[in-house]
Amino acid sequence: MATVQLHEIEKSFAGTDVLKGVSLDIADGEFLSLVGPSGCGKSTLLRILAGLETQSSGTVSIGGRLVDGLRAADRDLAMVFQSYALYPHLTVAENIAVPLTMRRLSGAQRLPGIGSFLPGSRALRREIATTVREAAEMLDIAHLLDRKPGQLSGGQRQRVAVGRALVREPAAFLLDEPLSNLDAKMRVHMRAEIAQLNRRLGATFVYVTHDQAEAMTMSDRIAVMMEGELLQVGTPDALYDHPADIRVAQFIGSPAINILPVETDEAGVIRLYGAQTGFRAGSARIEHLGVRPEALMPCDDGELLSGRVRLIENLGSDLFVQLDVPGMLRPVTLRLPPSARGRVRPGDLMHLRVDSDRIVGFDAGGKAAPLLRAEVPAHV
Amino acid sequence: MSEILTTPLTSSRRSARPEARQARAGAILVSPAVILLIVILILPVAVAFVLSFSDYTLGRDRLTWVGFENYADIFTRSSYRKMIVATVLYVVITVPVSVGLGLGAALLIRSLKIGQSLYKTVYFLPVMASLLAMAIVWEFALHPTLGIVNRTLALGCGSPLELWPWYARSCADGFPLWLGDRDYALWTLAFIGIWQSFGFNMVLYLAGLTAVPRDLYGAAEMDGVRSGWERFRLITWPMLGPTTVFVLTITTIRSFQVFDTIEALTHGGPAKSTYVMIYAIYEKGIAQNLVGLGAAITMLFLGFVMLISVAQRRFVERKVHYQ
Repeated sequence: MATVQLHEIEKSFAGTDVLKGVSLDIADGEFLSLVGPSGCGKSTLLRILAGLETQSSGTVSIGGRLVDGLRAADRDLAMVFQSYALYPHLTVAENIAVPLTMRRLSGAQRLPGIGSFLPGSRALRREIATTVREAAEMLDIAHLLDRKPGQLSGGQRQRVAVGRALVREPAAFLLDEPLSNLDAKMRVHMRAEIAQLNRRLGATFVYVTHDQAEAMTMSDRIAVMMEGELLQVGTPDALYDHPADIRVAQFIGSPAINILPVETDEAGVIRLYGAQTGFRAGSARIEHLGVRPEALMPCDDGELLSGRVRLIENLGSDLFVQLDVPGMLRPVTLRLPPSARGRVRPGDLMHLRVDSDRIVGFDAGGKAAPLLRAEVPAHV
Repeated sequence: MSEILTTPLTSSRRSARPEARQARAGAILVSPAVILLIVILILPVAVAFVLSFSDYTLGRDRLTWVGFENYADIFTRSSYRKMIVATVLYVVITVPVSVGLGLGAALLIRSLKIGQSLYKTVYFLPVMASLLAMAIVWEFALHPTLGIVNRTLALGCGSPLELWPWYARSCADGFPLWLGDRDYALWTLAFIGIWQSFGFNMVLYLAGLTAVPRDLYGAAEMDGVRSGWERFRLITWPMLGPTTVFVLTITTIRSFQVFDTIEALTHGGPAKSTYVMIYAIYEKGIAQNLVGLGAAITMLFLGFVMLISVAQRRFVERKVHYQ
């Protein structure tokens, strides 16, 4: 159990900057997700934290102690790899026992054959076997202890990998896309289990994923990374409702947020295709407005947006409707309740209004900028 | 006209079941391969097996069946006992050393940051070179008086190297004749065999090493594995299991087949100390035209090789494939 601090971490491979000064404080017992598209540097950051890679500059501390000079084996962390990285020639029990045998037994005691006759070795091995069994029972894999990883399903292997990580009670758990090799149903199931594990163990979890849904459902806080930089760190709610950057807004949430291109005139009035939106720019000129699909509502006539229905996606619990809005390259998506099923058809003309509390403005640089409510109500 | 219409109908009725039709087509399609296999591979072995019970020689039209006499010769006469001893000894020396060196070289090369391809090329050169041509070079190098080996060794006389009794004795009485000395010849040939073959094993191990998932080393590091030796024991060696079985089998069979250095350098001598099986087959069956005896030795040789292959499949392969 420990806090983790990353300070100004930079990393370059052969002249390419992969990490550009990343600083992050992770609290004790927190579940923090590092999320971002492939190649954004999140796995590299995790490997630097683990000690499997060395940063070009910056410092890492775990539990308030600088660990930069320490190798991975001495950092008291455990890691679950995307490929699970189980030792294929060892049984499940032996796999889970490796972190314990490596730390508790001396080099001589680990030797095959004679090692078990050395003083103290028997007792230690028995103790390890008990701990392994407890960990396996906790993960519901006790009946698999004698099998080899090759005989297990993906989900079972995943549990073994988690078991190997937690058996040693490390200061923090690092998980590198642990669910991406599982099928969709198993992924949702393991998502809940891992989040529960974090609460039960009370240990710090650092979870790397490219799947924003995993990050949203499991995390206490999410750190969104893109192109080697941290764009925003915050709770799932904060990221969803108040994205600090247009890229964060687009990355978080499915279906994606609607980005509407707008113009700010000299008086600060924001216009969408010439029509007033009902907002004024606060300090900076606003170039884009972000509206979540559920913040758009159909109305009778003449509000902010109107367009023809292009496609309807029926998910059972929700209905996502894509509208072709004249002038916009991408369709606008809105969410309707299931009760709207059958009432909307492709080709229908729809008028939309916006829940004005749930609209975000972005300036030319893509950063979130304050919006002020204009006195004039929005009308086309 | 009606004939044309009915012929395909009757023929299709005859082979109405699609399975039977497919089976017949399959048999026709594999028959060329099966015939070739029998004519080129199985028939010669069968002929050799039959001839091994006769005193057949090439050119004579008569042939007498001698029963197990040829085999009895192999197991009773001292020169054939020496043959088996020399062959087995050669294999027992060459295989572990060339496999071990191949693995060691592969691991060292993999750990290099620069110059990997240079070392790979250098170690692989002897594999590519013709062993017969290289044998001539070795013959010069190992010449008792003019060879570079003994002349270099002689330079060490008078130095602290003489603390080694063997060295002191050699300085006084002359360095070994290597290929001309009964006690050294087989070892010298084994050395040349190792020199020639370990580069090949190195390449096989390098290929095996690339197949070891990098994540396993990361996982081992996280699990508290600190030393290179532990890493080797926990991951590299078990993961190289299939490669090792393959390398061992190939090297053993190749060592059983050693011929070119013997033919070029010692002709089985001195005192039959390097009289290995393939050389005996060649000498009896071809040089002396004792085809029956040559065939019997061939059968024995095939028996050895078969034993190794079966052992590989039966006992080892099952233990090293984890999937």
